[in-house]
Amino acid sequence: MLNFIVRRLIQIPVVMLVLSLLIVGLTQLLSPEQRAAPYIRNEQQAAHVQEIIKARGLDQPFAVQYGRWFTSTIHGDLGFSKASGKDVVATIQERLPATIELTLLTTIPILLFAVWLGTLAALHKDKLIDQIVRVFTTIGFSLPTFVLGILMLAVFYAYLGWLPGAGQLSVLNQFAVGDLHRYTGMLTVDAALNGRWDIAWDVLQHMILPALTLIIVLSPQMVRVMRNSMLETLTSDFVRTARAKGLAPRIVNNKHARRNALLPMVTLGGFLIIGLLGGSLITETIFAYPGVGQWVVQAASQIDLAAVLGFALLTALIVVVLQTLVDILYGVIDPRVRFD
Amino acid sequence: MKKLVMLSSMLIVSTALAAAPADTLVIQESADIPTLEPAIAYDTASGQVIENIYETLVTYKGSSVRDLEPMLATKWTISNGGKTYTFDLRKNVKFHSGNAFTCADAEYTYERDLVTNTSDSGNWFLAEPLVGSQSNAKDDKNVTWAKIDKAVECNNNGQLVFNLVKVDPAFLAKLAASWMGIVDKQWAIKIGEWDGTEKTFMDWAGKEGLDNSALNKQPSGTGAYKLVRRDANALLATAFDGYWGKKPAIKNVIIQKVPELAARQQAFLRGDADLIEGGGRAVDEEQVKGKSGVVWIDNLPNVVSTGFFMNEKINGTQGSGKLDGAGIPANFFSDVNVRRAFAYTFNYQQYITDVQKGKGMQRTMLLPDSFPGYDAKVKKYSFDAKQATAYFKRAWGGNVWKNGFTITANYRAGSVGAQTAMEILQKNLATINPKFKLVIQAKQWSEMLKDSNAGKEAMIIIGWAPDYADADNFLYTFYSSNGYYFPRSNWKDAQVDKWLDQARTTVNQAERNRLYSLVANRAYEQAPYLLVPAAVNYGFQRDNLVGSTAQTYNPMLGFSYTGTFWKELSKK
Repeated sequence: MLNFIVRRLIQIPVVMLVLSLLIVGLTQLLSPEQRAAPYIRNEQQAAHVQEIIKARGLDQPFAVQYGRWFTSTIHGDLGFSKASGKDVVATIQERLPATIELTLLTTIPILLFAVWLGTLAALHKDKLIDQIVRVFTTIGFSLPTFVLGILMLAVFYAYLGWLPGAGQLSVLNQFAVGDLHRYTGMLTVDAALNGRWDIAWDVLQHMILPALTLIIVLSPQMVRVMRNSMLETLTSDFVRTARAKGLAPRIVNNKHARRNALLPMVTLGGFLIIGLLGGSLITETIFAYPGVGQWVVQAASQIDLAAVLGFALLTALIVVVLQTLVDILYGVIDPRVRFD
Repeated sequence: MKKLVMLSSMLIVSTALAAAPADTLVIQESADIPTLEPAIAYDTASGQVIENIYETLVTYKGSSVRDLEPMLATKWTISNGGKTYTFDLRKNVKFHSGNAFTCADAEYTYERDLVTNTSDSGNWFLAEPLVGSQSNAKDDKNVTWAKIDKAVECNNNGQLVFNLVKVDPAFLAKLAASWMGIVDKQWAIKIGEWDGTEKTFMDWAGKEGLDNSALNKQPSGTGAYKLVRRDANALLATAFDGYWGKKPAIKNVIIQKVPELAARQQAFLRGDADLIEGGGRAVDEEQVKGKSGVVWIDNLPNVVSTGFFMNEKINGTQGSGKLDGAGIPANFFSDVNVRRAFAYTFNYQQYITDVQKGKGMQRTMLLPDSFPGYDAKVKKYSFDAKQATAYFKRAWGGNVWKNGFTITANYRAGSVGAQTAMEILQKNLATINPKFKLVIQAKQWSEMLKDSNAGKEAMIIIGWAPDYADADNFLYTFYSSNGYYFPRSNWKDAQVDKWLDQARTTVNQAERNRLYSLVANRAYEQAPYLLVPAAVNYGFQRDNLVGSTAQTYNPMLGFSYTGTFWKELSKK
């Protein structure tokens, strides 16, 4: 097991290196003028485009540009993000905790919901419950995140006024939050640790609509996978054997069948978390939720290369770490899986 | 059920508390504030905050773009034939850090601007009259410490003295730009900025990464508001207790980043935001105008000038490169008959109706009508198919009419206005003569930037927004053969060049106005550009916001939502 983990950890810098070469290389397909464009905010500055290119070394050979980027990266400096107006590292440090909060608030309900609903549908195959689950998953699949997000805002914020609108905090708490001691960067946690339950509750309320949107959009796939996996398991030999031995249906279903049916959910759950941690781009943008997703959407539209590169490295790191965790979890759930 | 009722109550109570309080101004817009560093800011998003944190020596008087009044200066004198400006500075002014404002701060600020003067900043127009170059010492060896040091000085009376190397009638207006605010020298040095000495000035010349300077993170100005915090979600500012002027009525200002228009509209209509970035006149008139609690302010001045460029010396080939109907020669637009014919072909009124929803106006020259130097009496072109036909028949010895042409015209991708303008021209050309073909293509801005700078574009639409409120900033740019836009138009008129140069060397405004009228009349005759009608600006705000009306709106201020400083606003 230890060897396996060490091997995976060694992969991280290798993946990062290849990825960085690929991304920096791809940026070279853009002309120096295109890469200078983010620095030009109005027509007047365009008069100095050649000076900007020269000053920032955008006309230098690939090796020089990559070398400069690599050197600063290994010193922990990922450059300056035009889109956020801050260093890339500082931007990630500021925004990633918000994304982690949203991921936690979203992932746990999705997984619990999918396991429960998928199991229920499989156990009632082709009956009314199964049909209802199918309708739900079809609707979820069909709804674009953008449309659902706007609908959520229109109904629960603008029309009913039950929940707050875009952003992470209400106006009253914007100033108060500056006094909090930041332990984790996650506002709900930090506010609670500071005893400011009003702020924690405020942030939580602001997270409900984006979280609900993500749950509705992302659950259907998990439900369908769980249902199919459960159906497959229910027809397998060991389940038939368990039934033949006279075990109670509840024990057969929950202990034998569902435990084995969970394996694909572990893989899919890993991808789900990777996707959410990598930024729920559309959801964060619609709800003005200050996570990494909102930032990278803006960065990409501005050809903010430092931000895009920094985000890509962050995503790669998340992928490698989570894949390792998923593989370890596989071993825990299914002892037949061996790592060495 | 009981739990559900409780939850609903909690939600409703806390949401009710979320509305914008009376002492707080809430603004929602789509993008981040690029920087709070005055030495590099060159955009309105940054300027709208900087102008409220820092203060300039002079500022615009009320809604006027022609008259300036003191701010951190109390009065000024111009001597030495317009080459020396001496400012008396306001006493008992404090920076947000607690430091007292002195002449040394002003001297440091402008020297710092001249030293750093990065290529993507707006300091080129300060450097030009002060050190005789648009560049910094790293890019131009003629920019020496001696020149910078001499350009801005404090005399024994504690007055700030600018020693210009050449007369610049726009100099005062330049000092009113939002990013010309005076920084706190002691504070800046303390947090790691340039130490203000000759020894280190070359280290700071054209310094890269200034947008993320220490001052960007920790600004200290004399403005009515000081920065509280700036994070991924919002920028927070609060009224500065030690402000020398009248205490602002609004205590807190929050600029929230809300990229999605629908979310901003909902917050605005519910009263959670006082001001929001809209979605353009058509969208805002449909979705915001006339709604409960909304005040709509129309007929505001527009300070952007836009024109069709007709490149008289195209760098490259257009189609066949000949007058055979399948292309045009590189010098096609050098025939004045072609340019006049195009000017008569565009339907200005249709553009105002279709694109500007009736809220547009034809200008006589490529200069905002509110600017000094604008002459409303100069003739304007109107859509006239007969005149257009007559000029097309005269052009290039009749070959244009006989053979026709194919021109590829590019517009900035995403610009609906430019696209529609070109479609109007395209349709009218084809109606006048079916052999006239205008091929319209969307192009990415960076590509347009590159190709138009290289003179490769035959016909494009470009606008210009002012750096400072002076006619030279527009007329020299568009009409001089030494102007920034010359490579895109290649229109050269020796007499116009002379008039524009003369206007730069006199501080007599009446004489300048006369010269600018001459330029405008010549431009009408020669038609180097097809003038796109100017949109009429508008604004909207919650009805409890006070202090912002059409009469108080100044288009030169960065805070374009109200055209005022924040300190002039209140809420009822």
